[in-house]
Amino acid sequence: MNLFGMMDTSGGAMQAERMRAEVVAANMANAETTRTASGGPYRRQHVVFAANQGDPGFLDSLASATGSSGTLPALNASNAGSVAPGVHISAVVEDQSAPLKRYDPGHPDAGQDGYVSYPDINPLTEMVDLMGATRAYGLNSSAVQAEKGMITSSLEIVKT
Amino acid sequence: MDMQIETRLSCQLERYLDLAAGQAKLTAANMANIDTPGYRAMGMDFEAEMRDAMNGVDQGRAPRRPHIKAVDGLIARPDGNNVSMDRESMNLAEAQLKFKVGVALLRVQNQNLLDAIHADGK
Repeated sequence: MNLFGMMDTSGGAMQAERMRAEVVAANMANAETTRTASGGPYRRQHVVFAANQGDPGFLDSLASATGSSGTLPALNASNAGSVAPGVHISAVVEDQSAPLKRYDPGHPDAGQDGYVSYPDINPLTEMVDLMGATRAYGLNSSAVQAEKGMITSSLEIVKT
Repeated sequence: MDMQIETRLSCQLERYLDLAAGQAKLTAANMANIDTPGYRAMGMDFEAEMRDAMNGVDQGRAPRRPHIKAVDGLIARPDGNNVSMDRESMNLAEAQLKFKVGVALLRVQNQNLLDAIHADGK
């Protein structure tokens, strides 16, 4: 068992959660944005978390534990039976829901009918997402603290 | 009477530290995936693994990897993920304490050995 591998796991998760918080911040910042490079109003972004493929050590251990790889709950069909030691962001996707229409004929981005398309961003949803990201970030950072404590204490073995 | 550097207790402690580190690693993996849709919390039966490791020490068997299995009885959220923040926090604290206990005991072992080495008072 490698104690530093645990710090990679937790550190990767902290990175992913920070990215999620950044995406939430971008969504909130652009809540009223009606112009984007691709045209039309800003679209809400989501992050998609995916578990990393299990490292060979874990897979060996699983294979010896179960005799086969099919008896564990599958994360998805492609990596059935693997234990994932970490997490990564597999994609940042755009919300495809229709933009909100607000009647404002004086607005430079108003359509022929006088309605302006605004991004469909609900501050409540974003805040809840941000809270989740913050809590998960804190959880993983306390895991890093714990791992540091373990590594430091293992150094005590050689001290006399 | 023969004298060896590695005692039965120090071998057992070695396995104990390995298992405690393994438990912490599993917990860290679960914590990292707290927001991954469809992820299932993984765990191991620490007591059963430790019993097996102690038998292994007595029989001179090489250490083997612990059995890792999905944890039963957790409530899954709508996205299919069943990692519980509180359970993982408790597990990590427990693994950390176990590790520190193992380290402290191993230090005592080493200290005893050093005391024997320095028994001539020099």
